[in-house]
Amino acid sequence: MSLKKQDEMDHNAWLKSQDLTVIETAFLTTLIWLDKRLRIVDYLELLETMYYRANLQMPKSHTEQYDLDNKFWYWYPLYSLGSLSILAYLVAAVSGALLGFYYSPSTAGAVAQGDPTAAYDSVIEIMQDVQFGFMLRSIHRWSAQFMVAAVFLHMLRVYFTGSYKEPREVNWILGIVLIGLTLLFGFTGYVLPWKQLSFWAAQIGVEMALATPLVGEWAAQLLFGGFTLGQATLVRMYILHVFILPFVVTALIALHVGIVWVQGIAEPH
Amino acid sequence: MTDDTHTPTDSSGTATEYRAMTDGGTDDQARTDGGPPATVPPDDETPTWTERKERRQGLSQLTYQYFERSRREDEDLRAASTYVERDVLGFPTWPHETIRNLAISSFFVGIMLLVSALLPPHFGEPANPGVTPAIILPDWYLYWSFGLLHLDPINPEIAVLGGDKVMSDELYGLVAHGVIFGIIGLVPFLNKGSARRPVEEPFWAALGVAGVIFSVTLGVLAIQNLVPIGLDLLLNLVFLLPVLGGIVTYAVLKTMREGYMYDLNRRYYMLRPPK
Repeated sequence: MSLKKQDEMDHNAWLKSQDLTVIETAFLTTLIWLDKRLRIVDYLELLETMYYRANLQMPKSHTEQYDLDNKFWYWYPLYSLGSLSILAYLVAAVSGALLGFYYSPSTAGAVAQGDPTAAYDSVIEIMQDVQFGFMLRSIHRWSAQFMVAAVFLHMLRVYFTGSYKEPREVNWILGIVLIGLTLLFGFTGYVLPWKQLSFWAAQIGVEMALATPLVGEWAAQLLFGGFTLGQATLVRMYILHVFILPFVVTALIALHVGIVWVQGIAEPH
Repeated sequence: MTDDTHTPTDSSGTATEYRAMTDGGTDDQARTDGGPPATVPPDDETPTWTERKERRQGLSQLTYQYFERSRREDEDLRAASTYVERDVLGFPTWPHETIRNLAISSFFVGIMLLVSALLPPHFGEPANPGVTPAIILPDWYLYWSFGLLHLDPINPEIAVLGGDKVMSDELYGLVAHGVIFGIIGLVPFLNKGSARRPVEEPFWAALGVAGVIFSVTLGVLAIQNLVPIGLDLLLNLVFLLPVLGGIVTYAVLKTMREGYMYDLNRRYYMLRPPK
């Protein structure tokens, strides 16, 4: 027995002995290179499953199965409202991430009451100086409006077609939570430019929080950073808007859609 | 067991009983010199898989029993079903469904871009804590909520408490929010059954329409200083219009139902005329 390392599986020699095209050789070389490092063969079954999933056939819907498309096609937009709100959410996320490059959540810079603050100025800068900045802000605002509208209409569709019934109560409750979070998303975003209406909307928010019995003062401090509005309020609204809510809402949307996937779409009959 | 472990040197009968609860380990050897049992149980206290699977007691046993029932129910239903699984039930995900979804998505995104290009957002004055603006308004989707906060004229004053309000006006608005969300959340627990169409359940459809109209009238209440109606009349309208809308919906749906029944009956008697 020699101490020399034995390579029983000489894949490269096997590769040379084959009569392969350039593409095949390149593919196999890459595959062997990756497999030596990551042992892809262990995940082969998963890959196979994914391959077949990509060619999965969606089950026919009730209307397709009984050939009712000619009668019900005009209902279809109402059944796409949920995915439309997700789409608007994605557009808002992308445009919001771009806006975040230029926005600064700060009330600094106001010498007297009513002077523009750094936050206000940064939004002005976005709208006037940044290339396509005005369009970017417009897209962000309008996608938010579209999302809220789509979510409301989605809820009405679900209500009037009785889709919330018996096995689907949990998803209905989850939907109510998601509507509340969507509105909170809108509210926090409304405060960020720190214009006159933003400020007084936040003021009403603080007053509402303070009116709550027992937890009121605690909630006001947690959400608004104190009983009067200022730098702390703006930063908290900003963190809620760009960090906490995105994670929470995305996770809940995934759960919401996942439950629909598991339970199936409730079609009218 | 608790009694026995305090007297570790007693008869063999207790020891076997004690051992029966584990996988037959080395308790006799692992025993300390007469002290209380160790806080951390030795490794062989962990139940084996056989022991776990038996699920003799408590919640785990109930869970196991229920899952068995559930599985049996599933099998029965499947056996009784006449459903035949066909080879091709629909269109393939790629390319048919994917391209259709891409078309819908790009259409919708295009509409959003078009609207944001045509209707640029308004931008107001910078914040001024010293000056309260004449009109304070949230975005349109919170008008209903702002309207709920304007319900203070109907916050009841209790005469017994010397005309004081039980709740502050702000708290009253908050409680109204809670009531609204609570009612919406209760809907699936109150309305059950397989009916899906509004015609099948005129009451629930009427309730929905009343809710929609209520959210609109609350929005009007929120912008009350822009509406040329007296506050008393406006408050009455806020609550009366939804009820009116609900009643109209109920009447219309009931009539439609009668129409359907009439149609069905007519067809039936055309097929089988009465003798």
